[in-house]
Amino acid sequence: MSPALIHCPKCQAELLPQAFNQGTFEPCASCNALLQIEIFPALFRRPEAGRAGEGILTEGEASCFYHPQKKAIQPCEGCGRFLCALCDCEHQGQHLCPSCLETGRTKGKIKSLESKRTRYDRLAFALALLPCLLFYFTIITAPITIYVVLRHWKAPLGLTQRSRSKLVLAAVIASLQIAGWATLLIALLTK
Amino acid sequence: MTEPEYIKLTSPRQRGGFAVVSACRSSLWLGPDHLLSVESEGYTESYKRFYFRDIQAITMRKTGRLVVLAIVTGCLCGLCGIVALAWDAIEAKWVFGLLAGICAVPFSLNLLYGPTCACQLRTAVQTEDLPSLGRVRRVAKILARLRPLIAEAQGQLSAEEIPPPFPQPGPAPTPTPTIGEAPTAGIAEEPPRLS
Repeated sequence: MSPALIHCPKCQAELLPQAFNQGTFEPCASCNALLQIEIFPALFRRPEAGRAGEGILTEGEASCFYHPQKKAIQPCEGCGRFLCALCDCEHQGQHLCPSCLETGRTKGKIKSLESKRTRYDRLAFALALLPCLLFYFTIITAPITIYVVLRHWKAPLGLTQRSRSKLVLAAVIASLQIAGWATLLIALLTK
Repeated sequence: MTEPEYIKLTSPRQRGGFAVVSACRSSLWLGPDHLLSVESEGYTESYKRFYFRDIQAITMRKTGRLVVLAIVTGCLCGLCGIVALAWDAIEAKWVFGLLAGICAVPFSLNLLYGPTCACQLRTAVQTEDLPSLGRVRRVAKILARLRPLIAEAQGQLSAEEIPPPFPQPGPAPTPTPTIGEAPTAGIAEEPPRLS
């Protein structure tokens, strides 16, 4: 992607800078699509050049765990290994090695790197509610719902979600279904 | 690490343009230093973060979805209304009247929400569609909210940072002037106006 060039999202033609930050829709010179472009200073700034590790000059200098020939500049805040400038990944003020960063991402320890979550509350809610359309299925799904609720009660919610109301509601609906079946069973047995 | 508080910017919206029933829904949230795009697919959610310091441009393109939706829902509404008026049976009048009423809801909401658009966000390494931003009015409101946050993160652009005139659009290269011919004028007389 070349810097400081904006393309029309429809025809991919390069756009004239006069059309930027006007606050109104301007037609694309090539396809006449009405466009409004907001550009920000980051468009003109070159990305920072990556750092290369500095070689060891004197004997006895601490070396990088991953590159023994490079000079260590920072210990990893996750595992304590010495890191060279190349391996030192700064993330939200923390200096981590690539391995700790990857572990944090995959295990969900670094929230800001998390890119996917399963919504167990939605699953439980659907399990509790959808079988109500065919009531006989609830004899199987109600206990499964209770299991899902209990098993995943402590599982992290969605990033934008604040309460476990759906889990609670699913548990209530499933409990009512189980109670209904139990009443029916008792009524049939006592007849 | 604690999870940041997010403020809802847009409600979940289907990813496909005219998809009425789609498994994938997209919404946009405002974080402390980034925008969060949430895509829900069934029981999973995937997240994309766009940090304010990295946002280079936001592109909005006007689309004709408003007209198409208005025609479709308007026709359905009108058709049901005509059938309700033409049919003698009172039950049929009720049924088609109700259907006309149901179709009138999306018709009016569509007109109420105003013009439609397709939005894209550009960073140094990606250009992402923002399907949750589908209405011009909504995008204008969100942009007004984002501008100061992005300016705070990126600062103001100094004059020397702005490169000299952008290249001429279009694939054809500028012809070199021949002797005796007046030179052609440059394209950008003034640098882009930045907030």
